[in-house]
Amino acid sequence: MKIIVCVKRVPDTETRIRIAAGGKGIDNSEANFVLNPYDEYAVEEAIRIKEKTQAEVAVLSYGPEEATKEIRTAIAMGADKGILIKDPKALVRDAGAVASVLAAALKGMQFDLLFFGKQAIDSDEASVGPMTAQLLKLPCISFINKLEIGNGTVTAQRDVEGGKEVVASPMPVALTAQKGLNEPRLPALKGIMRAKKIPIEELAPAQVKDRVEVISLELPPQRKGGKVVGEGKDAAVPLAKLLKTEARVI
Amino acid sequence: MIAPETARLLRKTVARFVDREVRPVANRLEEGKEFPWELFRRAADLGFFRMRYPKEKGGAGGNATLFNIMCEELARGYMSLAAITAMQCLMCTDFIFKFGTDAIRDEYFHPAMRGEKVGAFCLTEPDAGTDLASIRTIAEPDGDGYVINGLKTWITNAPVADMFTVLCLTDRKSGLKGANFFLVDRKTAGVSVSKKFDKMGTRAAVIAEVAFENARVPAANRLGEEGRGMANLMRILAEIRAMTAALSLGLARAAYDDSLRYVKERHAFGSPIGSYQLIRAKIANMATEIEASRLMLYWVTDMLDRGAKCLKEASMAKYFVSEVACRACDEATRIFGAYSYSNEYDVNRYFRDTRFLLFGGGTSEILQDIIGRELGL
Repeated sequence: MKIIVCVKRVPDTETRIRIAAGGKGIDNSEANFVLNPYDEYAVEEAIRIKEKTQAEVAVLSYGPEEATKEIRTAIAMGADKGILIKDPKALVRDAGAVASVLAAALKGMQFDLLFFGKQAIDSDEASVGPMTAQLLKLPCISFINKLEIGNGTVTAQRDVEGGKEVVASPMPVALTAQKGLNEPRLPALKGIMRAKKIPIEELAPAQVKDRVEVISLELPPQRKGGKVVGEGKDAAVPLAKLLKTEARVI
Repeated sequence: MIAPETARLLRKTVARFVDREVRPVANRLEEGKEFPWELFRRAADLGFFRMRYPKEKGGAGGNATLFNIMCEELARGYMSLAAITAMQCLMCTDFIFKFGTDAIRDEYFHPAMRGEKVGAFCLTEPDAGTDLASIRTIAEPDGDGYVINGLKTWITNAPVADMFTVLCLTDRKSGLKGANFFLVDRKTAGVSVSKKFDKMGTRAAVIAEVAFENARVPAANRLGEEGRGMANLMRILAEIRAMTAALSLGLARAAYDDSLRYVKERHAFGSPIGSYQLIRAKIANMATEIEASRLMLYWVTDMLDRGAKCLKEASMAKYFVSEVACRACDEATRIFGAYSYSNEYDVNRYFRDTRFLLFGGGTSEILQDIIGRELGL
């Protein structure tokens, strides 16, 4: 079996967000980058399948040169090889363009399972996985939190409003990973020592256009300081009053 | 040659392990004063104990720089775990790996790498610490083996150890020229371990005395050529001192990180306390000394990796960085004020753990003396 996991380099959640000059993008010059946490679930699931079935796991990323670091993190976890579609502008492109670039590269590759994280934690669009599947005319199961591999088929579980949904699909299939699918491992020392030795294949991106344009970006308004309305049970009445008249939540 | 990319990935991985799995439980473990079995096994699963040993012999093929990055990050999380891991990687297994027979390696070294056996390293005696030449533990040749008698103290891991690497004289008249290391299985008749010491800090790195009373070991358990014990110890002494500097750097960073966060959050007289000059000076001094420590430590590990002689430099690094850690943790307790006096705050633990760094790997006083001697005095 062949598995490809698409991963993205993203700023970690502790990065302080600053809007870049021009007001249309984020200034990431001081950001710490990590492998997108939802992609980690996808990588982990692929490696678990590999450990059970001898599958081959490749990691594919559309990103700048530095995205090799996140690819190597996935290799250190246990993936077999890495492919980078190199483009210094990759991280600011719209979801449609990213999906088109990924789909163009994937057209020439063989795979049975195509994993994505359910969304990247920077742009939070949750679009690239399903869009890529559509471009490749593949069935797609999104937001999965359980997966079983059958003979040429998969059965996946996803949370729906108030319950669970179990769905099946033939392979090849695209899957987007939700929290709860597994607990991603930390790379062990053996994997870390091995990661640098695996060459990463580089591809040029297909020429596609962005169609969605960011008009403006702004930070949420600064939170105001809290207000102490009293202590102990004496606080209850004024608090209830303020919740009603000022905060208007009750 | 190790790629910078490998060092970066290692640091990031150990840091993540520490932040996710170690720091949240450190104070609880410290209070419990028990060997941290769960974290010890996790460290084994992640392959940490294999770091310094060659790949073809069951190791990970890391070098001194990687080993010290790992020690530094672990110490940023929890000094007891860092100390136990460093012992298992270096002092408790080095002699067994280098001088043990294949059978000994199969029985002790490989299980130690897998975290199935715990090692301990026995140098200090009640009347011989810094002055190692005064050791009295003797291993007398007897038939096809040796009979060991003596008392070792301040032995980290002893309460849970499966095996001890013990410095003994084989001939009292020759002093340290007749010193050798011996591997002693805990189950050997005549070996007894005292109850664990109740101590100020690093409480999960359990320590006890080990007594040897007519403990018989086979000849193959002498680790190294006859009389080469001290020479073999000198070979890893620079590594031990660099490692202690790495533990110190990790602790200093923990104190600094917590302090920096706190001075931004804590308000007094209407402003964050970090806006006051005296607090800024403390933070600035911590940051400056940490950067200097970093340069010094990795300058030494680079020398170790090049195979250069660097006992003087390693002694300087251990002396300097451990004193930096003491100052940083002292300042952290002043910044946190009365809260640092509470055992619930991490800075309280950091402050207590600094004392461990002052003694392990040579006291500041003896290191200053050694550096002076190395400078021709």
